[in-house]
Amino acid sequence: MIIGENIHKSFGDLEVLKGVDLHVKPQEVVVLVGVSGSGKSTLLRCFNFLEMINSGKITIDGHTIDPKKENLPQIRAEVGMVFQHFNLFPHKTVLENVIEAPITVKKMKKEEAKKLGMNLLRKVGLEEKADVYPSKLSGGQKQRVAIARSLAMEPKVMLFDEPTSALDPELVGEVLQVMKQLAEEGMTMVVVTHEMKFAKEVADRVIMIDEGRIIESADPKTFFENPQNERTKQFIQLVE
Amino acid sequence: MIELFSTVYEVFMRTYPGFLRATVVTLQLTAIGVILGTVIGLVFALMKISGSKILQGIANLYITVIRGTPLIVQIMFLYFGIVEIFTMNNFWAGAIALGVHNGAYIAEIFRGAIQGVDPGQREASMSLGMNRKQTMQRIVFPQALRRSIPPLGNQFIITLKDSSLVYIIGVSEIFSLANREAAQSFQPFESYLVVAMYYLVLVMIFTYLLRLYENKLDVDKA
Repeated sequence: MIIGENIHKSFGDLEVLKGVDLHVKPQEVVVLVGVSGSGKSTLLRCFNFLEMINSGKITIDGHTIDPKKENLPQIRAEVGMVFQHFNLFPHKTVLENVIEAPITVKKMKKEEAKKLGMNLLRKVGLEEKADVYPSKLSGGQKQRVAIARSLAMEPKVMLFDEPTSALDPELVGEVLQVMKQLAEEGMTMVVVTHEMKFAKEVADRVIMIDEGRIIESADPKTFFENPQNERTKQFIQLVE
Repeated sequence: MIELFSTVYEVFMRTYPGFLRATVVTLQLTAIGVILGTVIGLVFALMKISGSKILQGIANLYITVIRGTPLIVQIMFLYFGIVEIFTMNNFWAGAIALGVHNGAYIAEIFRGAIQGVDPGQREASMSLGMNRKQTMQRIVFPQALRRSIPPLGNQFIITLKDSSLVYIIGVSEIFSLANREAAQSFQPFESYLVVAMYYLVLVMIFTYLLRLYENKLDVDKA
């Protein structure tokens, strides 16, 4: 579904990604872990072209992307993204947040978009919040709206950039629950998270990124019980 | 004290028909200054965030020159420099000077408001497949406009008070009337006190309306 080959990315003199290869299969849930500054969020942002890679190749759904030639908005629409800080549109209601892109980008009729929006809000359990503004929601509710907003474009793959890191501990569960449900429905997902329990339960594969390189990639059981790399062992000890 | 009060009252009663007419002129000057300033400000703010070095340079030059010179000089320059060419009258020379002057300040207000919108908003919009234009129109500008309302209101109040400076080219707004009244009646103290009152009341009404509007915006969408 997403193939990254030999991805390099630098910010000025700082090389954040030093040749990353990652192949995410359809319906696969891949969890990226690593210490902060390791490059895992940057990798995610490259897959959505919010950051442009310096060299390497990104293929989405069998289609290799040349950022200079492509219609980037169209590609981004196929790759959903959920942010750490939700980034809901504060001047729009919950429902308006969800239907904004279908109406603006896909030129969907408003009535049709509303129906879609309400269905998605029901899916994340926030139907009754359709007409309130985001400022009235808890962090967990905001993130669930953000997930619904992203799903409204019917993406082929969803990227999650530390979706629960900005939440109070008691609100983490409701967001993970929605993500788990998505995974069960067969959504292809790449998740950057510090929630090891989620990684163990939901991931098909856990990948450790360290200093801009993938140093470990295994199914969750192997990853947590029998890690090969010293850095991975240290990391697991640290978070468990 | 009572004597002072009664002479002020006497001046007020004698002059209010003239002052009411002059108030209309002051409000017209302010309205044109504000509207023209907002249009100019929007254009130059867009030039500043355009990414084109040339457009940015032009906008910077404009803002630097206008903010770096006194309004009264700009009024005189426009009146004596341009009126002779286009045979504009003094009212329009004054109103345009106010607009040109305001434009520089309002440009900075808009630029600050646009750049002050959380970059995450742009990223979220783009991640949904919206292009740059859609992102600006539907996500960034509405939020920037909301952020710019308090400083814009402030700028409008400054414009109202600054409109007094066009007395220098003989526009019959309220300050020039106070000047005339002070000279003719030999009651400068009372005359300026009365005109100060007019400005104060106008500013208070303006402030009140502005607060109503801000509250309306904040109620549901803060």
